[in-house]
Amino acid sequence: MELGPLLIFKELVKFISPIILFHIFWSTFVGMIIGMLPGLTATMGIALLTGLTFGMEPRIAIIILICVYVGAITGGSRSAILLNIPGTPANAAACLDGYPLAQRGEGGQAIGLAATASFIGTIFGLFCMAFFTPYLGKIALEFHSWEFFWLAIFGIIICGNLTAPTDPLKGWIAGFFGLLVSLVGMEGIAAYSRFSFGFDQMKGGFALIPVLVGVYGIAEVFGGMREIILPKVRSKVGRIIPRARDLINHYRHILRSGVIGVIVGAIPGVGEDVASWVSYDFAKRSSKKPEEFGKGSLEGLIAAETGDNACIGGAIIPVLSLAVPGSAPAAVLLAAMWLHGVRPGPLLMFEFPNYIWEVTAMMIMASFASLIISLSFVKAQVKILLIPRAILMPIVFVLCVIGSFAINARIFDIWVMLGFGILGYAMRNYNYPAAPLVLGVILGDMADVNMRRALIRTAGDIAPFFTRPISFILILLIVLTIMSRIKPFTVFLSATMVKIGKLFGKQKH
Amino acid sequence: MDYELRRQDFYSGLIIAAIGLFIVVESWRMPRHFQNWPIYAAPGIVTGLLGLGLLGMGITLTIRSIRRQGAPLAFKRSDILSYLKDTKTHRLGLMFALSLIYCLFLGHRLPYIIVTAIYLAIAMITFRGTGPIKAVIISAMVAIGVALVFNRLFLIPLP
Repeated sequence: MELGPLLIFKELVKFISPIILFHIFWSTFVGMIIGMLPGLTATMGIALLTGLTFGMEPRIAIIILICVYVGAITGGSRSAILLNIPGTPANAAACLDGYPLAQRGEGGQAIGLAATASFIGTIFGLFCMAFFTPYLGKIALEFHSWEFFWLAIFGIIICGNLTAPTDPLKGWIAGFFGLLVSLVGMEGIAAYSRFSFGFDQMKGGFALIPVLVGVYGIAEVFGGMREIILPKVRSKVGRIIPRARDLINHYRHILRSGVIGVIVGAIPGVGEDVASWVSYDFAKRSSKKPEEFGKGSLEGLIAAETGDNACIGGAIIPVLSLAVPGSAPAAVLLAAMWLHGVRPGPLLMFEFPNYIWEVTAMMIMASFASLIISLSFVKAQVKILLIPRAILMPIVFVLCVIGSFAINARIFDIWVMLGFGILGYAMRNYNYPAAPLVLGVILGDMADVNMRRALIRTAGDIAPFFTRPISFILILLIVLTIMSRIKPFTVFLSATMVKIGKLFGKQKH
Repeated sequence: MDYELRRQDFYSGLIIAAIGLFIVVESWRMPRHFQNWPIYAAPGIVTGLLGLGLLGMGITLTIRSIRRQGAPLAFKRSDILSYLKDTKTHRLGLMFALSLIYCLFLGHRLPYIIVTAIYLAIAMITFRGTGPIKAVIISAMVAIGVALVFNRLFLIPLP
């Protein structure tokens, strides 16, 4: 039996060819531009490129998408530092300290540090992915229809909880709605057409890519055109290559944020933005100089950028082992894998035994390309930030149309994209998060088919849904997640904890 | 922002409850023994449960919004008028209308490059992204570039 590192090395060697290297560099560069430009997110970039790379060889198509993913999350810090506008939601925390650094004339240092922290974060995340995915895959083999049903429900509940921190009810509504959206059209057991209202096009259901492009891309185009912001870039960038001591001195923040990024990434649907904020928060709490956070702290910037990039590897862990995406961009990556004939999930290790190592090698290539591009041509890249939105957004709309149309060549998909774009825009204005909706669209079929299949297997007996050990754990997690956001319960819980604490305190004395 | 939340939650809660109810009714109307499958494999079972969940959450959101403090639930004429007069609303409406017209023209007799170039030029000029001549040049270049790259290089069909 060969060792993992050797297998990764073997896969890496396969990617050393001029054509593949060319694809790696251009796609990482495109990803960085997408990430840099406020309004264009990693999810949207991958969704667009999924359509465009549909005709390519699967291996090349997937590496392009991974490069876009890594490039976009890394590139987003650039506009956060120079414009105080996060390029992607994942880079919002980088604004807090990146922009003050740029205002002090240390923009170059901030960019260099952010890029290096992103690189370290990605490498940390991908090694965690390579290490943990086979183990999770083995646990996933114990999952049957009952567990997969609860996993789908758990996914949207936890995602709704974490992506709508002020009002989880809206997150859960978005998740349930997403589940229902995926159930439009012919179902997988008896081929009955649901909610198609006699329209032939609706019988095929809503394709994932137009829905994603609509919710993330078109909603942003409408939002961007509604409020025109003229970018003011601080063009004085200065030294870019980071000092080794800045990284060595902050190794604890890097390590901690890496772990946080991977854990947050592995939670279904939560994603890079949450990883970045949690990493930032932990760094602030543990810092000796918390008062410097928000005023140009290198610790804050490093923590935020390591966390969001480590999340990439974390988000791919459940994609490969359970076919459940850890973040919105990972959801598109999962869809792209399906489109190219790869079936991630518990059987991946049997059907495609080397795929985990292949993805790891792809991510290594993407992270190196991202680091090289990040630290070079900075001044040229900064100029791209000056493109007015009134020019950029109509072009983005045209690309969204092509991206939605490309896979099935159906005009209907363009209308789906537009419809979900309007819905996405309304959701954003009414504080409903988009991530649970997208996760719901991915997991809907899993919930539907597995619940009905489980009932068929037990001749209608619902007891196994509650009595099987993994099902029971998942139900417990769902209930706890919901209860943790209900005020009377949290008040009761904290009061009980205080009483227990006092009781132990008395016993000590 | 928080002030407006009450009204937003009230109306969105009502819409969600209505959608939930509609889904429950439609699921109930779906066949119970489709192609001789047992009742517990009926196509409407999961959709019905999800619809019930959505209905419950919609009602919760509506009731909660009534109890909370904030904007009055009824819209005044002045609210609607000020929204309609807002420049941002005009920009949004214009972008939506242009995009809708663009999508309507796609897939018909007009070539993709021409439709796209016209759409881009009108959008850029209307939103004052740049001057008219520059807008026309950029639009033409982008339309031709997109068509060539995606159609010839990536072999993707154009709408």
